[in-house]
Amino acid sequence: MHRLKNISINIIFFVQVLLIFLLFVEDRIELPVGLQVLGRLHPAILHLPIGLLFFFVIVVMAQNEFKRKSFRKVALLILILTSLTASITALFGFFLSRQGEYGEEALSQHKISGTILSLLCYVLLVVFDRNEKPQIAFYSFGFITIISLLFAGHTGGVLTHGENFVLGPLDSFTEPSASRGETVFQQAVYPILEKKCISCHNESKAKGKFVMTSLSEFQKGGKHGKEWESGKPEESRMVQYIHLPLEDDDHMPPEGKPQLTKSEIKLLEQWIKSGADVERKPADLKEGDSLKILLAGIVNSMASVMVAKEYSFSPASPDVIQKLNTPFRTVFPLYQNSPALQADFFIKEYFQPVSLEELKGVQEQLVVLNLSKMPVTDKELDVIANFRNLEKLNLNFSKINGAGLSSVEPLKNLTSLSLAGTQVTIESLKPVLALPALRELFVWSTSITADQVISLMQQYPNIAIMTSQFVDDKTLQLGKPVLLNEGIIKKGELVSLKHSMPGVTIRYTLDGSDPDSVTSKIYDAPIALAGTSKLKAMGCKPGWYCSDVFEITCFLEGKKPERTELLSKPEKYYSGQGAASLTDGWKGFVEVLNTPFWLGFKENPFAADFDFSADPPDLNSIVISYARNLPSSAFPPLEVEVWAGKNSKEIKLIKALKVEQPKEYGSSQVEALIIPLKDAHYSFYKIIAKPVDKLPVWHSGKGKKGLFMVDEVFFYSNF
Amino acid sequence: MENEFLNNRQHITRKHFLGKLGLGFGSVALGSLLMPDLFSGKDEMVSTVGLPHFAPKAKRIIYLFQNGAPSQLESFDYKPLLNKMTGEELPESIRQGQRLTGMTASQKKFPLIGSHFKFQQYGQSGAWVSELFPNIAKVVDDICIVKSMHTEAINHDPALTFMQTGAQQGNRPSMGAWLSYGLGSENKNLPAYCVLLSRGRGNGQGVYSKLWTNGFLDSIHQGVQFSSSEERVLYLKDPNGRDRADSRKMLDNLAQLNDLNYKEFGDLEIQTRIQQYEMAYRMQTAVPELTDLSLEPDNIVKMYGADCLAPGTYAANCLLARKLSEAGVRFVQLYHQGWDQHGNMVGEMPLQAQDVDRSTAALIMDLKQRGLLDETLVIWGGEFGRTNYCQGDLSKDNYGRDHHPRCYTIWMAGGGVKPGMVYGESDDFGYNIIKDPVHVNDFHATVLHLMGLNHEQLNFKHLGRRYRLTDVAGKVVNGIIA
Repeated sequence: MHRLKNISINIIFFVQVLLIFLLFVEDRIELPVGLQVLGRLHPAILHLPIGLLFFFVIVVMAQNEFKRKSFRKVALLILILTSLTASITALFGFFLSRQGEYGEEALSQHKISGTILSLLCYVLLVVFDRNEKPQIAFYSFGFITIISLLFAGHTGGVLTHGENFVLGPLDSFTEPSASRGETVFQQAVYPILEKKCISCHNESKAKGKFVMTSLSEFQKGGKHGKEWESGKPEESRMVQYIHLPLEDDDHMPPEGKPQLTKSEIKLLEQWIKSGADVERKPADLKEGDSLKILLAGIVNSMASVMVAKEYSFSPASPDVIQKLNTPFRTVFPLYQNSPALQADFFIKEYFQPVSLEELKGVQEQLVVLNLSKMPVTDKELDVIANFRNLEKLNLNFSKINGAGLSSVEPLKNLTSLSLAGTQVTIESLKPVLALPALRELFVWSTSITADQVISLMQQYPNIAIMTSQFVDDKTLQLGKPVLLNEGIIKKGELVSLKHSMPGVTIRYTLDGSDPDSVTSKIYDAPIALAGTSKLKAMGCKPGWYCSDVFEITCFLEGKKPERTELLSKPEKYYSGQGAASLTDGWKGFVEVLNTPFWLGFKENPFAADFDFSADPPDLNSIVISYARNLPSSAFPPLEVEVWAGKNSKEIKLIKALKVEQPKEYGSSQVEALIIPLKDAHYSFYKIIAKPVDKLPVWHSGKGKKGLFMVDEVFFYSNF
Repeated sequence: MENEFLNNRQHITRKHFLGKLGLGFGSVALGSLLMPDLFSGKDEMVSTVGLPHFAPKAKRIIYLFQNGAPSQLESFDYKPLLNKMTGEELPESIRQGQRLTGMTASQKKFPLIGSHFKFQQYGQSGAWVSELFPNIAKVVDDICIVKSMHTEAINHDPALTFMQTGAQQGNRPSMGAWLSYGLGSENKNLPAYCVLLSRGRGNGQGVYSKLWTNGFLDSIHQGVQFSSSEERVLYLKDPNGRDRADSRKMLDNLAQLNDLNYKEFGDLEIQTRIQQYEMAYRMQTAVPELTDLSLEPDNIVKMYGADCLAPGTYAANCLLARKLSEAGVRFVQLYHQGWDQHGNMVGEMPLQAQDVDRSTAALIMDLKQRGLLDETLVIWGGEFGRTNYCQGDLSKDNYGRDHHPRCYTIWMAGGGVKPGMVYGESDDFGYNIIKDPVHVNDFHATVLHLMGLNHEQLNFKHLGRRYRLTDVAGKVVNGIIA
């Protein structure tokens, strides 16, 4: 006996430690199947410790009836059994908890209280065992144990039976727990009666002799006869009573009882108005029927828990699934623990009929198959016909022409079929339309016309046949063509334009005038530019409005000076890379000006030296590339001076010009200021440009100083 | 009592103690057998958790983010009272002392201003849509308008970051990264998370790559930003003089080297790198066909509008989003900038609307005609709403609106969301929510739910605690789920 006791106590101790350990690492645990089965025994064996603990309490209370020695023996035995079963129950409970499907909060409460109970039983056992006579510690632990038993029992009950299961019948506020039937009456009307009326109008109470618990009694009415008139809510006594003022003795439900809500009253009225039909199902109601709308509200307010379809077939082995997965074919369960599989194919170059054939390994489990854009022909439909549980099949833009569609006849579960962009004909659809489960068919971009779709829909009211919703209502404008060259145009580089839509004619000009759709030059080959020039282009296509004009200045590569020096200080915010920005060959973007490409001048005029003394070129023009971004106050310079000579000391003014100023905002562009020169053969140039001193009156910053933004200066000898 | 415990202690001998200790260790050892990854040396799953927790309603998401916060009062939340009360002061009973941005907090007056643009009811649902969105109005029966969104942030960057990552401060994984982590990629030849940017003609706000970050998740879940240039995925082409076979050989050898490194250091990022190279190699086949929009037939081009062929426009991004989504990309994130109308609402709002209206509606119709709308969740909306009062002086023909996080409108379509529905309601001033509020956390919880994920279970342990997209909040909005 002593030995047995020690073994038991050690086992119990062992389980306690195990339990606590498991609780700490529970997230990382995966249960073998055998333990899952043990877990499921938890609801059965949990009754043992409960009964034993109460039995123990009785024995302790009746201890004076026993001989001292036999009391200790009996009590110890019961307590050992209690503690042992409590530990095992807790352990099994833990196994069960890892199998999911419980509310998180209630579960963790039960898990913790169960573990504590098991621990307390152990402590109680130890205390009892070590002390000859039960004393305060024993009784207080005993008391706490009982309390925790009640708590653990309660939280466990909440898990299995839901909140307020025991007191539910007493509480008229509780939601109806009865399973919902199919008819409007069962789904929406009866729950209201059940909640608000039946506590008085039942067989045992039957106030006013009106009983609502059975359909026949409800239809019969009370002591005044029928309580409602089909189709006439305002003449129905039931409704009249509901609408009486609350103080009225006949008002229902009586004052002090839970009242009907507005929507409940409305629903009752609508139900009576629509004929008080107890057989009718929600599906029978027309779209837009006010009863249907009310009903939808009620059904939705019941938590919309997703009910997944149950499949009777067994899952495919993970190895088989894994083997089927390649970069071009993915096969995966619809969700965790679902036996149903989806298969997708990607990249048509890698599709081979055999890769579809291989899916026969999971032919029973395959529920969704996506072959969109794959070169699948009608021959492969024979293979697809093997996938008897297929529900969704996507053959959009595949190569089928419909001739083989008759072979899909065995697909009794197919609900959705996509054939958009294929060569199917209306005749070839017949076997498809006969599929018993089919609900959706997509035939957009096929030879089937909108009118044909309408007549098919009338013939097959259960199938939604979808084609395009889009009506080609208006003539649209084309987008602008684009320039493919980037940055500065190198010597000998040709300029290429592109319009992304096939069949568009691009017309262009190089002289700054706007192109038109009739006379301007048609772009048919890349253009060789004679110099830095403004390119304007537009796209035109029959059936479309011509695009807006695309406008860009193409800058040609020039002669690079040996040395560039900035003589005035740019604005701090627009100081770029200093002098290097001017000849580094990088063009700036007109939208963003505080970048390394741009130098900005406002307080000081722009002034820079350019030194060519090693190899003085024959220049015929200088081009200053500047930003016209008027909203950001970047204007053309007011005036420009070019000085030239042998070196920085001996220079003279060779050119001065005033620049025409804009009259309105216009578009933002990187512009070229072209300064033609005559017989310029100098070693040294100095350029000065004055920013606008007063912004014009129409500008939002009128009166303030304007910016002169320069990103590059070009020197040309053959322009 | 003391006596009892004393009594206890006297019983414990060294033999007893060691015996119990041994028992305890044995128990822990037994328990450890249930932990399959105990000795594998890795703490968390390497890349993806892999599958939805339950049957998903949506398989993919296209998020059309309207960056800068489009005004709900000029788009979907019709408030005729504001037109009646234009110029009158915002009643204190409505404002209730709520905080304003630094841009209008010092304003002496808060004159109410009604929409300059007319509203009309459309479709069977009878939802109100402004005249700026004639094409979205045509598909109004396919969308679910949520008028009761609210957020905590009042400025763009935190609000945008909150909307995209579930936290205002940044560095958390974004929605797309969480979905990539939770569900993996459907098509192994493309990234699970793609990002497309476009810029409108209104006052704009920046977007930053932190919005599509993987945060602390494996870097394979980071969003891949597509370029707005002709070459939509940069550096994908083989360099001149190297062909596919050379690339293959190079990658194989590189993978061996990387593998050696991995064996030496055990850094999981090395594995990620190998996977990324492999995917990039496969993308060389998959991407050119996807991004070549010139193959689209004329009727599709008409539907999306001619802009859809010019790379980098919103319309082109919508079309590309459809193609990517059709090819199994889990999450396509668009950002369209330019919705920050602090002033010049009358001038800028029509331009912005024009940019997005046609192509957004086209995207919905296009998905629908291909049978993809029911498995693709489309989301349209910004980071917060705009105030019902005018920012700055109210002039006769123009006005602006400041940031308003208390109440704004987004809409969703497809992917298990109820079509033709308006959810939630704002008060007659369009200032406070009076029915069914939806917090950003709730929105995230709902989106994950539609994708078959329990937002409380999709988590990742980082710096000692488990993080979720919804962090410690969020409730699924059952009312909008079909």
